[in-house]
Amino acid sequence: MLLLQVIVGGLLLGAIYALFSSGLTLIWGMMNFINFAHGEFVMLGMYVALMIVVWLGGGPAVFGIASAFALFVLGVAIYLSLIRHVTRGPMLAQILSTFGLALLLRYTAFWIFSANVVSLPQTSLGGTLNIFGILVPAAQLVAGVTATVITIALHLFLTGTTLGSQLLAVAEDRNAAMLMGIRPDRMQALAWGLAAAGAGIAGALMAISYPWSPSVGETFGLTAFVVVTLGGFGSVPGAMYAGLIIGLIQALSAFYLGPIYKDIVVYALFAALLWFRPQGLLGKA
Amino acid sequence: MLLSAENVSKTFGSLRAVAGANLAIDEGEIIGLIGPNGAGKSTFFNCLAGDTLPTTGRIVFDGRDVTRASPEEHAELGVGRTFQVPATFEDLTVLDNVMVGAFLRHPHRGAAREHALQVLDLVGLGDRQNLRARSLGTPGRKRLEIARVLATGPRLMLLDEALAGLTPVELQQAIALVKKIHQTGVTLVIVEHIMEVIMTLAARVIVFNQGHVIAQGKPADVVRQEAVIEAYLGRGHRNWRKKD
Amino acid sequence: MKAPIALALAFILYPFVFSNAFYLDIGVALLLAAISASAWNIVGGYAGQVSVGHCMFFGAGAYLPLLVYHHWQLPPVVGVPLGIIVSLVLAVIVGMPTFRLTGHYFSMATIAVAELIRLVIGTWDFAGAAIGLQGPAVGRGWWDLTFRGELPYYFIFLAVLIVLLLVISTIERTRFGYYLRAIKAGERAARSLGVPVRRTKLYALMLSAAFTSIAGSLYSIKTGFIDPESGFGILVSVQMVIIAALGGAGTLYGPLVGALILIPLQTATNTWFGGGGTGLTYILYGGIIVLIARFEPGGLHEMWHRIAPKFGKRHAA
Repeated sequence: MLLLQVIVGGLLLGAIYALFSSGLTLIWGMMNFINFAHGEFVMLGMYVALMIVVWLGGGPAVFGIASAFALFVLGVAIYLSLIRHVTRGPMLAQILSTFGLALLLRYTAFWIFSANVVSLPQTSLGGTLNIFGILVPAAQLVAGVTATVITIALHLFLTGTTLGSQLLAVAEDRNAAMLMGIRPDRMQALAWGLAAAGAGIAGALMAISYPWSPSVGETFGLTAFVVVTLGGFGSVPGAMYAGLIIGLIQALSAFYLGPIYKDIVVYALFAALLWFRPQGLLGKA
Repeated sequence: MLLSAENVSKTFGSLRAVAGANLAIDEGEIIGLIGPNGAGKSTFFNCLAGDTLPTTGRIVFDGRDVTRASPEEHAELGVGRTFQVPATFEDLTVLDNVMVGAFLRHPHRGAAREHALQVLDLVGLGDRQNLRARSLGTPGRKRLEIARVLATGPRLMLLDEALAGLTPVELQQAIALVKKIHQTGVTLVIVEHIMEVIMTLAARVIVFNQGHVIAQGKPADVVRQEAVIEAYLGRGHRNWRKKD
Repeated sequence: MKAPIALALAFILYPFVFSNAFYLDIGVALLLAAISASAWNIVGGYAGQVSVGHCMFFGAGAYLPLLVYHHWQLPPVVGVPLGIIVSLVLAVIVGMPTFRLTGHYFSMATIAVAELIRLVIGTWDFAGAAIGLQGPAVGRGWWDLTFRGELPYYFIFLAVLIVLLLVISTIERTRFGYYLRAIKAGERAARSLGVPVRRTKLYALMLSAAFTSIAGSLYSIKTGFIDPESGFGILVSVQMVIIAALGGAGTLYGPLVGALILIPLQTATNTWFGGGGTGLTYILYGGIIVLIARFEPGGLHEMWHRIAPKFGKRHAA
């Protein structure tokens, strides 16, 4: 029963990994660009949630939407002011733009919020559910399910709506999309907004159940790299499955080896993937 | 026979860019490869240069199967190519650009430099050797690309629209340059839209459409063939008529 | 050849002019930073393969001298070649698979593997876990390289920096150096000219790793102490990247110029902001990196070459 509980907990956290990783993979698919500050977006989502709860006293629905909105605006702003200008530039500029941004966001958070570990005050989502003998904290269940719904919604948006298919058209062939009257710049700004918003919600959802400090951004950023690599670069469904797998692997390694090993196992998996299957599990050989 | 391609095809997903193309080139030829946009010329070209791995078929260069050989190996064996959009090393000087090519057969810097300078004189860029590549205009960069390939000492040169976008005067200079290169014993395959260039330079023309060769022969004969006119009834054909 | 010799002379004279411990400290830190950043520059600057996890090589070089001392009481210097070997192995592990792919994979792999190593070292008792390792408190002989003053370290570091810059300037004039710049300028075109791209990138990474490892060894031998954060922390990598990029990535003196600006600046911010200053220093670092990426990826070197001619013209007119 304990093992089952660990598995369920891992999958619920993995669903959140899937949510924030799908934004990273979307941007990679659209512009062959890796965002080193993606984990910091998640971290900021957590602090937005904290500020809303402390100052306005809103519930999960309120701070979830607030995090999404704040990060959407930040994502678009970062695209317009920074990313747009470096995508055609040298590799050094491409890598350093978001790498520097990550440092800037991370250490600004340290400066403003201090390095102390914080957590949200008890919310209305307290309590533990007993499902067929498996104990699941209600907050984690709600967060995991919400994350899954949003990730699927993102996938449906991309594949099933006009705007979504315009985004994918830019990803497929930028020049062809331009000939069809789509403006790649706008689509990419939208993608950055969506990716950051996804990270923001993911952060807010995790903030309900887990304590954090400004340094979590680095861990989440690396976790997203592993998820995206496992799922195949550019694939939202891939990120979805891979997120669940990584959540599960983390939970199991924490359970069997000890909590400090959960990230070690995941990063080691990443190194192994690069050697043996860089195109990911779902990618084409 | 210097190079032969047998039944080469390449598919991207559901798109069949090259569909069973055949080609045989003898040493010393200048061949023009023409065809409407999207005919698969560029993909076929990339297969010949080792840049794209064909889905099926076999490519043999000088008796060696090079179907799966890398671009580096192609250069080593003596197959050089230029790019449709000039891919000069923008931040390097003109001389350094050519030296990168020259190093292939001249490992030492002094020898590479000397060889590069000779090549620059041949293509007429000798006076601009210390400029950065980015400061050259399109004609200059196309010339530089040709020089760079020439410095690798190729036996076969694949020129991908190396003469497009030039003014009439520049075009005449470029045609003269290609002839000069040919006289040094290099075999050439030229992808070109401008019929005038093909008519002047190529002894044999190969017409590509929908991924395979639909006609080949002497330029004057080929352009009169029904299939070619039909496939090519666009800008190229009319241009040629006007000039005729 | 005049300028390099004048520069070397200035560095040789510096400790005699500014002989108090504070300035000597800055000098030593500056030289070490210039060595690490110059080593990073081989692969990150010249070859354009941007590593953001170079601390893995620095840490390997820093840990091995103290490991051999801690476990077998060997002189720390014995660990220097061992650190280089470990770094070369790491370079192959990271470089071999990723150099087949675009540069982004390499960057991601460097940061992930570096973080993996930091976590492993932090839990591994053999390597001192989170507490770290110490070197000999008192030298048992000259071979332990524990000097009372900073001066000997200053000159050892200066010698290593000069050797490294000589190696790089030699590379600049060989086929290998031209190939590195060609790869940075355009891999596809480089391959079409017969440049063995993957192999060249790997050699560059290995050379870079070896020198970064030496920098790490110098650091730990001098300080006599190492822990996961000072060996494998992300800020170790950040410092190399920012110093090289600030001065001019892919230029011989860029990293040295970057160090000349950044190390005094860092000392100043730490002094001004006191104990809480480190956070602000890294906000500043992040800001500088973003600005370089956005406005001047060529660093001060490129900026100088753009602005200098304009001044020249004004004088002429």
